[in-house]
Formats: sequence, C-alpha cells, structure tokens
Amino acid sequence: MTDLASQAVTLDRAQSARSVLSLRDVSLNYGAGIAVLQNLSLRIERGEFVSVVGRSGSGKTTVLNLAAGFLTPDAGQVLIDGRRVTGPGPERAVVFQDDALYPWRSVADNVALPLKLAGVPASERHARAARLLEAVGLAGEGAKRIWQLSGGQRQRVGIARALAAQPEFLLMDEPLGALDAMTRELMHGLILRLWQDSHAGAMLITHSIEEALFLSTRIVVLAPGPGRIVHEESADWGRRFLSGNDPRALKSEPGFIAARERLVDAIYEREAA
Amino acid sequence: MSDSAIESPVQMPPRADKSPRRLPLGLAYALGTVTLVLLVWGLASGRGWVSPVFLPSPLRVGQALLRAATEGYANATLWQHMGASLWRVFAALIGTMAIGIPAGVLIATSRAGRGILDPLIEFIRPLPPLAYLPLIIIWCGIGEPSKILVIGIAMLAPIVISTVSGIRAAGENQIRAARAFGASRWQVVAEVMLPAALPSILTGMRIALGAGWTTLVAAELVAATRGLGYMIQFAAQFLVTDMVIAGILVIAGLATISELGLRLIERRFLPWIGKS
Ligand SMILES: Nc1ncnc2c1ncn2[C@@H]1O[C@H](COP(=O)(O)OP(=O)(O)O)[C@@H](O)[C@H]1O
Ligand SMILES: [Mg+2]
Repeated sequence: MTDLASQAVTLDRAQSARSVLSLRDVSLNYGAGIAVLQNLSLRIERGEFVSVVGRSGSGKTTVLNLAAGFLTPDAGQVLIDGRRVTGPGPERAVVFQDDALYPWRSVADNVALPLKLAGVPASERHARAARLLEAVGLAGEGAKRIWQLSGGQRQRVGIARALAAQPEFLLMDEPLGALDAMTRELMHGLILRLWQDSHAGAMLITHSIEEALFLSTRIVVLAPGPGRIVHEESADWGRRFLSGNDPRALKSEPGFIAARERLVDAIYEREAA
Repeated sequence: MSDSAIESPVQMPPRADKSPRRLPLGLAYALGTVTLVLLVWGLASGRGWVSPVFLPSPLRVGQALLRAATEGYANATLWQHMGASLWRVFAALIGTMAIGIPAGVLIATSRAGRGILDPLIEFIRPLPPLAYLPLIIIWCGIGEPSKILVIGIAMLAPIVISTVSGIRAAGENQIRAARAFGASRWQVVAEVMLPAALPSILTGMRIALGAGWTTLVAAELVAATRGLGYMIQFAAQFLVTDMVIAGILVIAGLATISELGLRLIERRFLPWIGKS
C-alpha cells in the first residue's frame, strides 16, 4: 500500500459514519459440551463505551475473544455493519491484560507494528508512533525496552499500539487488572480522552464495578453457567468527567452509588430491594 | 565448559550477570578445577604412576601442541587441521539451520508439517553417527559433502526441536495481537514466532555445536587428509599419545570458544532473555 492509499484508508475509517459491532445470538462451548455462552447478543456502536462485568468465569473474556475474531461461535454470528466477520481484522484492536507486547522490539517499534503491517512507510510510522506515545504520556520513551517500563507504562504502550492503526473498535480485556489503585485512576482519565479523540467504539472487560460505571456509556452484566446477559444499564459519568467534572465528586454522587449497588446486585444475582 | 549444554531447549540459558559476584566466583571454581586436574595429571605421569604411553606429562602434551603448530603433524599444520574442522562444523551448522529452522516452523504451525516431519526427526534423532556414516559414504562418496552431512545430521534434531519449542513458547496473546493488527500467516511467523523462538533457537545452536564437535572425529574417520579428528586418529595409530591429548584439548578449546561466542551473541542481540 502506498502512503497516500494508507492515509486514505485511515481517513475513511476515522470519518465513516456509525459502525456497529454486534454479536448476534452467539453460543460457544469450547468443544467440551458445556455451554460457556448461550444465545448472547451484544451491540457496540462507534462512540459507545460498553463495559462487560460479571463474576470470574462468567465468560467475559470469551465474549471479547469472539468480538475480536479469535474464537468462532458454535452458533450465531459476529457482524460489523451487518456483514459477517470470521476472523480478526485491523478495524478491531485489542488490549490484553498481559500486555502482549514484544520485548524484542523497542517501545516505539511496538507501537509502530500495526502501521508496518498496514504498509505505512518507515518514516511515517516513526512519526506516528512518537505522536501516539505522546498521547499516552510516554513522550520520549520510544527508544526504551519493554522491560524498562512499569506495569502502567506497559499498558499505555499496549493502548497506543492498539490505537495506532486507528481502529473502529477498541477491545480491552482487563487492561488495568494488574495495576495499583492510583495508577488505575490516572489511566481512567487517559482511556476516556483517547476514546473520545479516536471516535472508536470501546469494549472493556473489567472486574471493577466502579471502573465500569465511571468509564462506560453502557454496562452489561454477564452471569455464568451458561454465560448470558442478565442486566444492562446506561451511564454518563465518563462524559461528565470529560466535560470537566471532578472524578471524586462524580463517584460520590447518590446516582453513582445507587447504580453501583444495582450492578453489585445484578452480578451476585440478588433480588433488588 | 558449557554448564547448560544438556538443558532441554525450552529452558533459557542462565544469565551469568544476574549477580555481579557470581561470575568471579564461578571463574575461581573453574580455574581451581583446572589447576587440580593438571596437578593430579602431572603427579600421575611425573611420579611414573602411569606409563607415558598411556598418559604423557602435561609438559609433553604442550610440546606436542607446539610441534603441531610450528612444524605440523600428519601432513598439515595444526592451523590447517583446525581450519578444516572449523569449516566442517560451521558449514554443517549453517546448512542445518537453513533446513532445520524452516522445518521447525512447519512442525509448530501446520498439522501436515507436523505429521510429515515429526516422525522423520524422531527417527533421525537417536541414530549414532557411526551407524549412518557408512550409508552416507555409499550415497555421497568420501568427499567433503559426506563429512559435512554426517555432522549436519547430528545437529538437525537439536535445531528443529529448539525451534519448535521456542515457537510454542510464544505468547498466545502476542500472536493474537499480531493477527488483530492484520498480520498474515507469514507475518505472524516473521514478526512474532521467530523472534519469540530466538532464545530457544540459540540454545539449540549451542547443543547442536556440542553434537557437531562430538561427531567430528567420526566424520573425519574416512578419507580425510586434514582435520583435528583425522590428526587424533593418525596419532593414535602410532600411539603418539601426547598428540592425541593435544588434539582433544584443541577440540575442547574450540568448543569452549564457540560456546562463549554464542553466549556473547545472546547477550548482545537478545537482551530481553530472562526479562519481562
Ligand atoms: N480455552 C478454553 N477451553 C475450555 N474452557 C475455557 C477456555 N477458556 C475459558 N474457558 C471456560 O469458559 C468459562 C468462561 O471463561 P472466561 O471467558 O475466561 O471468563 P471470565 O473472563 O469472565 O473470567 C470458564 O468456565 C472457563 O473455565
Ligand atoms: Mg477473563
């Protein structure tokens, strides 16, 4: 692909009207006969931020792997704008809990890999990698080696890498799971800003209810055995944060606390009072 | 010498620089051992505990070494013998890597590749070089290609197996990430699997070099006019024990140097080993 052509592709992606990633009635059993997911449907539009919460083993990672195209459902379909997809593709980028970075590449070269695979010429890749690193607060760290970074810095590299090819959807599987509370809070602001700037549709798997509530426009609760959606709710705390509200104040609002309680009840399948 | 040549290819070689005090201590032990061996050897031959035909003194072995290096022995100088053997071992290594690494990639990434190649490797792996040497000579004659082939066959299994286990050790999510970025099958191999396998392949190369030196004497058994293995056999025929031992020491020295060279390469070019 030539430089111009690749730019045209990315422009096209950035400006294309709403795209939708959807799982339609998917079931999966990992070949063991026991259904891990049954008739699950989930839609993510560009511009949305959908979090999936649920107990450990409820099938959250499986949902993300299906959406990413790493797994093929036994029944049902994965669709982008109504067209069936059968494997991974650069319009869906993934951030992994175990960062999945490449230690044989420098920080900048990790971020630039999706661009290399998309055929972007070297000089432009480097410039764009530098800009992405700046966007995640790692300006000037591009020459470093992966193992010279902290856990939080690595996840930022993972996010920068995922955003490099300007995906329509950003799929994140517990990206902050291994980080300390302070770092997580800093990362929340970063993720929200990047989500807003990239116009991507985000899917976040997390075990933190508060994180899901604070970041998302919609929260989906998954219950195990077989994995299915038992509760959904909308939220706008992230958008309010982006428009300048103090995160601490937002999180102590009665509405936030009530929503958190509802989600806890849904996750542990308690009857709402 | 190598402290890890018998490790399985999956394991990463130990890092010598993990603690700054370890290397000098290890070196001290090594030097101590060498001194002790030389001392016992010197005593055994000097005091006449063992006949010089069986065990010449260290001094005589040193003199034999000097004689081979300056005047030459068995139709060539020591350097020519060394050159011939080094060429055979490293030509075999390069050739085996050119075949073994792609074979390992096929075994690790394709069911057909595994089905076809795995039994072949498992068949070749336990064969003793002296067993297939006659067959190679019947097939390929007594020239240089036969000698390189005999060594190469001994190197094949370590290279293939280390490649396979190295690729298998690539992180599932590292592979998935590349696929999600639109990497083709070949790009996944080139950008993720092979780099991830490099540490293991390097360990495989170390084991293969060990196997190569082990096989050298067998390879130079027939119709050689140069080579350390040939020199040792020539000396053995005339019971020139000091030259036999000198030849053995030179092989051991070359093996150690190549082992250290590979470790240097590892530290210089694969700095991520043992990190993250
Ligand atoms: N590769 C696999 N093979 C078989 N079972 C699996 C596999 N991956 C996950 N499972 C099972 O599927 C269920 C859901 O797993 P997962 O999606 O990882 O849940 P979560 O991410 O919510 O913790 C679990 O019971 C788990 O044991
Ligand atoms: Mg999970």
